[in-house]
Amino acid sequence: MSFSQNREPITIEDGFKLIDAAVTKLTRIIEGKPEPPFLPEEYIGNYTIVYNMCIQKPPHDSSGPLYEKYGAILQAYDKLTILPSIMEKHDEYMLREVSRWWEINKIMVRWLSHFFYYLDRYYIARNGIPSLTVVGMTCFRDHVYEKVHFNVKQVVIALIHKEREGQQIDRALLKNVLDLFVQNGMGNMERYEKDFEDFFLTETNSYYSRKASSWIQEDSCPEYMIKAEESLKKEKERVSHYLHSDTEPKLVANVQTNLLVLVAKQLLEKENSGCSALLRDDKTDDLSRMYRLYHAIPEGLEPVAVAFRLHVTAEGNSLIKQAEDAATSGIVEEQVLVRKIIDLHDKYMAYVTDCFQNHTLFHKSLKEAFEIFCNKKVAGSSSAEMLATFCDNLFKKAANDKSNDDSTIESTIDNVVKLLDYISDKDLFAEFYRKKLARRLLFGKFSDDHERSILTKLKGQFGGQFTSKMEGMVTDMQLGKDQQTGFEEYLKNANTGKPKGIDFTVTVLTTGFWPSYKTSDLNLPLEMVNCIESFKAHYEIKTNHRRLMWIYSLGNCNLTARFDAKPIELIVSTYQAAVLCAFNHTERLTYQELIDQLNLSHEDLVRVLHSLSCAKYKFLKKEPASKTISKTDSFEFNSKFTDKMRRIKVPLPPVDDRKKVVEDVDKDRRYAIDASLVRIMKSRKVLPHQQLVSECVEQLSRMFKPDIKMIKKRIEDLITRDYLERDTENPNTFKYVA
Amino acid sequence: MHKLSRSNRDKVQQFVAITGASEKNALQTLKASDWQLEAAFDVFYSQPQPRSNADVRRLEELYNRYKDQYSDMILADGISVLCTDLQVEPQDIVTLVLSWHMNAATACEFSREEFVGGLQALGVDSIKKLQEKLSFMRSELKDEQKFHEIYNFAFGWAKEKGQKSLALDTAIGMWQLLFAEREWPLVNHWCDFLQDRHNKAISKDTWEQLLEFARTVDPSLSNYDAEGAWPYLIDEFVEYLYDKSVVEK
Repeated sequence: MSFSQNREPITIEDGFKLIDAAVTKLTRIIEGKPEPPFLPEEYIGNYTIVYNMCIQKPPHDSSGPLYEKYGAILQAYDKLTILPSIMEKHDEYMLREVSRWWEINKIMVRWLSHFFYYLDRYYIARNGIPSLTVVGMTCFRDHVYEKVHFNVKQVVIALIHKEREGQQIDRALLKNVLDLFVQNGMGNMERYEKDFEDFFLTETNSYYSRKASSWIQEDSCPEYMIKAEESLKKEKERVSHYLHSDTEPKLVANVQTNLLVLVAKQLLEKENSGCSALLRDDKTDDLSRMYRLYHAIPEGLEPVAVAFRLHVTAEGNSLIKQAEDAATSGIVEEQVLVRKIIDLHDKYMAYVTDCFQNHTLFHKSLKEAFEIFCNKKVAGSSSAEMLATFCDNLFKKAANDKSNDDSTIESTIDNVVKLLDYISDKDLFAEFYRKKLARRLLFGKFSDDHERSILTKLKGQFGGQFTSKMEGMVTDMQLGKDQQTGFEEYLKNANTGKPKGIDFTVTVLTTGFWPSYKTSDLNLPLEMVNCIESFKAHYEIKTNHRRLMWIYSLGNCNLTARFDAKPIELIVSTYQAAVLCAFNHTERLTYQELIDQLNLSHEDLVRVLHSLSCAKYKFLKKEPASKTISKTDSFEFNSKFTDKMRRIKVPLPPVDDRKKVVEDVDKDRRYAIDASLVRIMKSRKVLPHQQLVSECVEQLSRMFKPDIKMIKKRIEDLITRDYLERDTENPNTFKYVA
Repeated sequence: MHKLSRSNRDKVQQFVAITGASEKNALQTLKASDWQLEAAFDVFYSQPQPRSNADVRRLEELYNRYKDQYSDMILADGISVLCTDLQVEPQDIVTLVLSWHMNAATACEFSREEFVGGLQALGVDSIKKLQEKLSFMRSELKDEQKFHEIYNFAFGWAKEKGQKSLALDTAIGMWQLLFAEREWPLVNHWCDFLQDRHNKAISKDTWEQLLEFARTVDPSLSNYDAEGAWPYLIDEFVEYLYDKSVVEK
């Protein structure tokens, strides 16, 4: 067609004929049939036909019909050429056809749009009707896509299944085909989702559900997890290769649900390979994998954390049981048990920090587990007492054996503090610790550094109030040394001279800090009385307003006993010394005489006499020579006694404190509860019973777990004492009485 | 009076100022009217007016008949005579009601003020008139609200002067007496329980809450709230009932 300048209107009939010819040529070209390409003149000519037909004056302006024609061409092409070709084929071949015709269609639409371009510029714009491209796409969608998408989808899913089973498939093809689905949504993902994705996900669901069922039966937990991990990896790859990225989260969730969530219980609880077994056998890789897999699932970690907690609790409980069993057979192994618990803690904390990435859920599980078994009693002693005894032994050994390096002691101290956190009766621990601390400070060697170190750590963890008394005690010992120097200066200067050649050391204890001790009215031997008096005199010079209370039960004494064979130095308590000194003036004394002379209680005297006459070293002869002390016995200095040692330490067995400690703590708790209740009511004025109790429990939880019954009793007591009253309208509510 | 809230205290003052009634009367009237001043005035003015001085003199004479030789109080002997005059037994519960009207501080003694004031409140000035009032007084025990007041009053009245708690024997006696008027199926178990397990004095709170318990909790304990603010002793009682299979859990 040459570029004609004459203004003869082109009729629709003629115009269409020319267009058809062009279209035929075009289709041959794009279908790859032998056909010379369009020459530029031809190309321009085609465009011009349309142009002219549009600008012609009415009644020959043919924009409308041309627009219709355009649509008709494409429709015919879709229906008569494209669709039949596709329908002929099956399976993968069909996919290829679809893919091929899709590309062809795109080119067709593009070329035709160029030919009919003038419509786009004016007719379409003016009339607000779909553009040529849109018409083209819509045509394909309605006449091809709608007819074939179902089958296409079936084939695609079948191919994906094949790939899942390990076979190679043509990924590029699938990418094209799925792209088609997306494009045919024409702006939204609906077609992709409804015509493909939904089915795909359903299929995936049943696929992985089947896999999960068979794997869970056959494989061990680690093996299963590896397979699960692999599957997730492969599915993600699948997305990157040919699925639309929108599908990824849904796909991942689907796989996770089937492989991990639904079987979680079975998986984690697998005998010999589940969570428990992995924890027991240090399988850190597998545990890390488990964490990774379940962390990606919302709330997925919960069952793992539960399994973790149950396992740790079981381990702890079995340690407790072991100790109980050992105790019933007579061996008390406090040290061992505490050590084992510490080791258990270290082991599982390591899991929490390494495999479980320090996740709070696992910290919580560990804490809960420990809180359960750390509060159990073993052989009658509470964990609080055991821990205190453990510390006691630790420090006693450390003070005696300097070879222990400080860092192990320090790390053990850290462990103790951690363990204490799990024990609910912290105040009970404090009381036992204090009693034992007192003994350590007064009777043995102690390391100031270690003692201070643990106190600092306890203070940091539990507050100053917890440790204030104990710190006071340690400070007293420090001050005591200075005081002693002062006293010795005084003795030198004050011309009273050292009392009768006796070396005398006094330790002054501040009453509030130290445990309460009974005083006794022991009648001391004269020599000791002089010492006491001289110290009193010295102390009164130094301070007024302070009363000294002498606790002889805590003192100790070095005596030289002149036995026939050789003199032996005896290291004994003051009570024992008093008894022995009684024999300085008389050879024989009856029990009764001793009681009268010394003014000791029966219990104390029996204990002392037992240690001196019925125990390992018999410094006194007892008549009758039975194993126990009775009030009718009489005693005589055993001058025949001898031993190869030159110094003998005679320990006085300590009285069993446990009941008293528990009683004292109970009493303190009552005061603490009272104070807490009053504090709460003072600020709230009116509060229902339930809330009062729960707030009280919360306030006190740092120190101990209060017994609800006790709280109730204290409330009643406070009512009787007019601190609180019941609301007349509602007896379940209390009011503060100002 | 010190147990009252400020607003109630004020109301009593107001009432006394306006009506000229005694404080005791004011208290009783206001209590009976649920602390509504208006209603209280109605009650007061619709009641027979307190008598003139003549009546007070008659009451004083009556008082002197019973009062003790050596102190200005009616003591046990005087009360004995009073009961004989009224033709009631000393252990009759109506004496408790009478004491309540008098707002008597302690059992077995009435002060002048209590005696005179109480009889005034009842609107009587002779033994005969008092005797006529006895059936009315008995009926007061059937009134829920009044029974509650009388019951609570009984604690302070029955306990030893200067003690904070009520001795167990006295308490049991009182309970038997009171619950004869108002049935509570568990009363015997309660008394058994106390003698078996408690053996100590009874606190005011426990006393008061027991009535609440008897009133609100049914004998099968189906609506007993273990988490509630019941006194410790009552919780123990419930456990006792379960232990002894008196009630099924």
